[in-house]
Amino acid sequence: MNDMTLLERGVQTDDIKISARNVEVFYGDTHAIKNVNVEIQDKTVTAFIGPSGCGKSTFLRCINRMNDTIDICRVKGDILLDGEDIYDPKVDPVQLRAKVGMVFQKPNPFPKSIYDNVAYGPKIHGLARNKAELDEIVERALRRGAIWDEVKDRLHSPGTGLSGGQQQRLCIARAVATEPEVLLMDEPCSALDPIATAQVEELIDELRQDYSVVIVTHSMQQAARVSQKTAFFHLGTLVEYGATDRIFTSPEDPRTESYITGRIG
Amino acid sequence: MSDQHILSAYDRDLESIQAMIMKMGGQVEAAIRDAVRALETRDSDLAMKVRVGDRAIDELEQLINEQTARIIALRSPTAVDLRVVLSVMKISANLERCGDFAKNISKRTGVLLESPPIESTAATVRRMARQTELMLKDALDAYIHRDPQLAESVIDRDVDVDQMYNTLFRELLTHMMEDPRHITACMHLHFIAKNIERIGDRVTNIAEQTVYMVTGELPTEKRAKADHTATETIDFGA
Repeated sequence: MNDMTLLERGVQTDDIKISARNVEVFYGDTHAIKNVNVEIQDKTVTAFIGPSGCGKSTFLRCINRMNDTIDICRVKGDILLDGEDIYDPKVDPVQLRAKVGMVFQKPNPFPKSIYDNVAYGPKIHGLARNKAELDEIVERALRRGAIWDEVKDRLHSPGTGLSGGQQQRLCIARAVATEPEVLLMDEPCSALDPIATAQVEELIDELRQDYSVVIVTHSMQQAARVSQKTAFFHLGTLVEYGATDRIFTSPEDPRTESYITGRIG
Repeated sequence: MSDQHILSAYDRDLESIQAMIMKMGGQVEAAIRDAVRALETRDSDLAMKVRVGDRAIDELEQLINEQTARIIALRSPTAVDLRVVLSVMKISANLERCGDFAKNISKRTGVLLESPPIESTAATVRRMARQTELMLKDALDAYIHRDPQLAESVIDRDVDVDQMYNTLFRELLTHMMEDPRHITACMHLHFIAKNIERIGDRVTNIAEQTVYMVTGELPTEKRAKADHTATETIDFGA
């Protein structure tokens, strides 16, 4: 059991990055999230798993207030980022989303050049004083997105001309360009082939050195491969949350066991 | 939790490897029983039958290995399913080893038949063998009924086998000191007793795997090593 790769998978810090307390979400009359309490660690990949409609994406979207854009959505309870309530009226959601980046299911590059896709965020947040600094930020982000070598000679061709896997890594580069602290990923690989999936998973593992990564995935094998902590959601509640290797070998709740083993719940 | 997977072929795969374990368990039980009966009744034909029969046990183990590898490759088992597959692999390896011990007992029986029996030891060997047979039966029952309490009781009973082995060890030493002409037979009897004792250890492993499969945790080691027979020497000057 003292295999290096298993040890490396261990969570390296106990620092809590995000703390959710008694979170409830309603879409109109629908009670989508019921009293969720969870503490997400820094420099850790946390996977949210669960059947369709269990609320895992809804909860993920609460963490950078993406649900604000839905009129009928109401969020109750507290979500703290480094101890500060992100739903406090003083918090600017745009600033929050610079700190809490997001990558979506379908790669969605802007209809602009590869360079501009990445430079857009740093520009509007005023992270670069001049062109040279911006170039530097773009290169760093593209390197961190593990796509630099593939695009460095065509930075000014459109981002939409890349392959699906490259587009997704471009979106990850775009998300990390604003130096976020948390990266939310909503099924980042579901539109990718196995090779591109493996590249993105490798990237997620590298990103863990610097960020707290939260990933929603329908692939339990992916959750098992990339995450150190796993949270299982079912019918809007958080059923079980713990170390990924424990969840996948000896889950405590029978509902978790039913779901991950592919049984009728 | 439901017993059934959404994918019913997965259930059939898991059932089939467990059925093979039960079949293998039955063959190993019979091998141990026959090996000990052949020794008691000085039946060289029965001993030979056990030696030949071991091949079937080995083949079954091979088949189980192939099937479990296939399930791991195709189904990526998790949680209880993973524990079932892992326990099947380990239990089959332990059963295969028990089969080897039975075969070895039969080999030595062949040699023992060439010298006169050493009467006083027969009863202890018989009791030891009976105890391990019962332990194996209960270990397999515990496995198929998913009964960790029964499995724990099997683990606890191994200490009796060890004690009987230590008693026999001393008896055999005494015989050999009394009459050096008994040394050949006593050495073979000692190895037979050792084989039975090793079967007890393997059966304990099987019971531990059952506890792991059901609860997700291996039982804790409760037994203290109190016996010193293994480091004992004899003083011939006495």
